[in-house]
Amino acid sequence: MDSRNADVAARTLSVPVLIVLGWLVPGFGHLLLGRRLRALVFAVVILVSFIVGIALQGELILPRAGEPLSYLAAVASIGNGVLFVVARLLGLGDGVVTASSFEYGTSFLLMSGMMNLLLLLDIHDIGVGKKEW
Amino acid sequence: MDHFALLVLQALLIAVFFAFLWKEDAPQRLRYFGKVFAALVLGAIVLGWLMLPFPRP
Repeated sequence: MDSRNADVAARTLSVPVLIVLGWLVPGFGHLLLGRRLRALVFAVVILVSFIVGIALQGELILPRAGEPLSYLAAVASIGNGVLFVVARLLGLGDGVVTASSFEYGTSFLLMSGMMNLLLLLDIHDIGVGKKEW
Repeated sequence: MDHFALLVLQALLIAVFFAFLWKEDAPQRLRYFGKVFAALVLGAIVLGWLMLPFPRP
């Protein structure tokens, strides 16, 4: 059932474009490749993780001068794609260091971003035919 | 939410994510989900228990 849709997506969109779309909207890359169930599950998991992270007053970490690890954390934060941009535009994700849930919230936000980045590798593998399902 | 509930929620999300990322069919996914979820929750409890003699100053 999936291969036909995948073929359509592969004909119309190149793998790099699928990866960019998958990064922007969690699960969208898999949807374009015809993996509907997996796309839905990934989108829900990442969205829930992101919302919980914001609700717990976590921080969407950006690079900070003199803190090399913040660069890695920023990659994970930006990995959230459109969610990151929307949250920033709404003034969310600044983090409240004094909140008891701050560390948990930040952890959820980093987790959702890293999950989305992992999905990009999966999109690549499916797109180039390394992964059949 | 207390810390344990958040831990369980995080373990749940991670287990579902990797079950669907790495396993192809439903029975495989269910087994993998159970293993990862149990490992994360029980592992955290064991780690917490081991750290009990070393409270934060």
